[in-house]
Amino acid sequence: MSSSATLRTGGHPPTPGRVAVELVVNGVPLAASLDPRRSLLDLLREQLGLTGAKKGCDHGQCGACTVHVDGRRVASCLTPAVQAHGRQVLTIEGLSPAGSPLHPMQQAFIDHDALQCGYCTPGQIMAAVACVAEGHATSPEQIREYMSGNLCRCGAYVGIVAAIEDAAMKMAATTMATAGRSAEMPEARHAAV
Amino acid sequence: MNMMPFADLARVDAHDKVRGAVAFAADDARPNLAYGAFAVATIGKGRLASLDVAAAEAADGVRLVLTHANIGAVASAGFIMGGGYGFQSHQPLISPEIAYRGEPIALVVADSLEAATHAAALVRATYETAPFAVELDAPGVEVVDQAETPLAHFIPPVAAGDADAAYARAPVQIDARFASAPQHQNPIELIACVAEWQAGRLVIHEGTQNAEAVRHGLAAALGLDAGLIDVVSPFVGGGFGQKNSLQGHTVLAAEAARRLARPVKIVVPRAQLYHLASFRPANRHHVRLGADRSGRMLAAIHEAQAQTSRHDLFPGEYATTSARLYGIADFRGKDELLRTDAQTPGYMRAPFEHIACFAFESCVDELAYALGIDPVALRLANDTTVDAVTGRPLSSRHVGQCLERGAAMFGWERRSMAPGSMRAEDGGLIGWGVAIGTYAGLRAPAIAKLKLTDDGRVEIRVGVHEMGQGVRTALAAVLARKLGIAPEHIVAIIGDTRAAPQHLTAGSWGTATAIPVVEAAADALLARLAELAPGGVSNREPAQILRAAGLPELAVEVQGKAPGQPDAIYDRLKAGLPSIGGPVYPEFVTYSYIAHFVEVRVEATTRRVRVPRVVSVADCGRVVSPRTAASQVRGGVVWGIGAALREASEVDPRYGGFLNADLAEYALPVNADIGAIEVAFVDEPDTRFNSAGVKGLGEVSMAGVAAAIANAIHHATGKRLRELPIRIEDVL
Repeated sequence: MSSSATLRTGGHPPTPGRVAVELVVNGVPLAASLDPRRSLLDLLREQLGLTGAKKGCDHGQCGACTVHVDGRRVASCLTPAVQAHGRQVLTIEGLSPAGSPLHPMQQAFIDHDALQCGYCTPGQIMAAVACVAEGHATSPEQIREYMSGNLCRCGAYVGIVAAIEDAAMKMAATTMATAGRSAEMPEARHAAV
Repeated sequence: MNMMPFADLARVDAHDKVRGAVAFAADDARPNLAYGAFAVATIGKGRLASLDVAAAEAADGVRLVLTHANIGAVASAGFIMGGGYGFQSHQPLISPEIAYRGEPIALVVADSLEAATHAAALVRATYETAPFAVELDAPGVEVVDQAETPLAHFIPPVAAGDADAAYARAPVQIDARFASAPQHQNPIELIACVAEWQAGRLVIHEGTQNAEAVRHGLAAALGLDAGLIDVVSPFVGGGFGQKNSLQGHTVLAAEAARRLARPVKIVVPRAQLYHLASFRPANRHHVRLGADRSGRMLAAIHEAQAQTSRHDLFPGEYATTSARLYGIADFRGKDELLRTDAQTPGYMRAPFEHIACFAFESCVDELAYALGIDPVALRLANDTTVDAVTGRPLSSRHVGQCLERGAAMFGWERRSMAPGSMRAEDGGLIGWGVAIGTYAGLRAPAIAKLKLTDDGRVEIRVGVHEMGQGVRTALAAVLARKLGIAPEHIVAIIGDTRAAPQHLTAGSWGTATAIPVVEAAADALLARLAELAPGGVSNREPAQILRAAGLPELAVEVQGKAPGQPDAIYDRLKAGLPSIGGPVYPEFVTYSYIAHFVEVRVEATTRRVRVPRVVSVADCGRVVSPRTAASQVRGGVVWGIGAALREASEVDPRYGGFLNADLAEYALPVNADIGAIEVAFVDEPDTRFNSAGVKGLGEVSMAGVAAAIANAIHHATGKRLRELPIRIEDVL
């Protein structure tokens, strides 16, 4: 599915006032009938039951709702759900599906106690994975700047910076080790690393 | 008692938290949920003249609009500091009276969040307006002497010796005034609940620090038997005092769910919670500190004024804290409350201690400079082992160790005393500041139910809430060590009124409340196992002994309370009422302590203040969970940086309410604001206070940080800044 796909009703009967969208969430193709006012965050949480992404402000100010769309980190509360039509969405639930090992970033957050209440944590981790992929995790100062869109009221910032430094090294090693096999990786997974 | 320090244990719920697998209250996506949204008052004070909900009721998907006109027999659950259960006595929607801007006037419930939000915007109101006051010096503000209110019965004014006479005689006098803007707690988890009725029972899922008060408060508000209400709060997405009692939205969600026979979810938008929940009140202080020329502190007077609401008296306890920083024999405190037209203010991390320590420890720094004495040496010279207010011994006080160890870790000996004498390579000013903090050692009653099953699983049910402080990890640490089992075999059922009575978790008393009782329960379980294994229990796991005895499970129940509390305290606990003991106990007085060392950099051209590093050393008794405890201290330091340099809720004298009601305009510390924070613990058990030797930590972590920052700014710039937050314009 290309990101330039136009909105259409697909196989669903059209419902007045609703819009049909198709998107891939955590590698799974989905079709949904939407209230056009619905945010991507509310689609994930209220309609798809993917409650890992959190609502902390609904204004793009706290970062708790951070997910990846086509491999880029976005505030899903500021993203109309219809805008995800034809796109690949990765949430914390897709970063390390149940039964699979944790992503190096998740493990690093545990190892450095980079969390307390855990409410902002899924957003922090999705932002952190993107921060590394963007090349914005090359120094503690750079990590602090590029992670400043994700608020942690418990104040776990010291641990978050340490976790990202740690995971960035492990992710680089993993990327090199798996570079030859990347074509076999699921697309959504690929977008995450 | 095992006197060994506890081992480093990873946060036990971290694996679920990093996978987004912990279910917070709003993480409920079942079909058939209805969604609530509020319309709120747009005047500063007055009365609804008309309320038109026709358009809202006619909107697509709307199922119910609740207003004062149709709410029925819903009542106020009362104010938590006045014998009730709510953060304030004012329950929105039960009368046409408007007490303050931003209070709800209608609850719209619809099939979707979008429909409810849209319809709430269609509610139209007209008002009869009344004069209002939201600033401390506005006309119409009423000043109340706390000593002349019922609050004085449990918060008596500090009066040790004859402070006024001793101050008048003191050869060195420091006289300064301080102020702080109001602030909002702003946990990242929004205020949220799901209310549902199941076969005549009301079940509330809500992130709260006080499930029992929510339960009993709902019973009072809705005229229900509390035995028919369950409140479930296994994880709180940050509390910080905001979620410490019943809030108005929960009452309305429960009523809406009853009428619709359908679960109702309310997630209060960030902008609305600046008026739907409590906040740190605006406050100001006049501190006078007298000393002799050797630096011995002789007398102090701490007079405080703090904001409250028209409808409730939120107490001030500022001097009760500052009087405990040192052993000053002559100390007088006074608290005045200023009634304004706002919701009732409330507890926000280190509610009084943060600002009391800011004011008093700024004065101590001034004294050090007045005398030319090193600020660390001055503090060490005024240490004490006795509580000067009551004359009773302190159960433990290791603030001297905190100062000495912190100074060594920080490299304090390299500091030059003169303001402006230390420069960075880029030409910026460097300032090094120190301050201590203290917080009362409190304890509430608790009932612990411990069950071992023959598969090796251990379940602990006890009254305490997990809000990120790490109490689940602390419970696992003590039980794993006592019972010789792996932490992953321990399941804690907490924050749940079905499991055990749930006392308010706040005021840093959670560990001292739960841990000694849980340890005692583990001892009781081990004693029962010893009876089952007459040949001895050596080298056998508890479940092996159970299986050998042919028993499927073994359960014990233990209760515990603060020293000096009567047995009737358990009735208060079960009734959801605050039942806190301390810090003054029959035989001793207990406080936690901390020393903070802060470096600030003031940029040469922009004058921007940065905090590149902090060293904090805490005396919280025995450290049960070293990893989560260190995170607690770092979090408290971040809070102190926010309070000192960022956070202010701006009141609007024209229209009432708070103006900067979102996370872009209410500036919290972000990652780029925080540098290195190094933490250490004295880790000396206080076994006089309780059998586990633990004291509180979460709040003392913040106490004194703002003073250390202000003192460091003085060291960098020579400026004494006494109003928080300190901003660029203050150091120009």
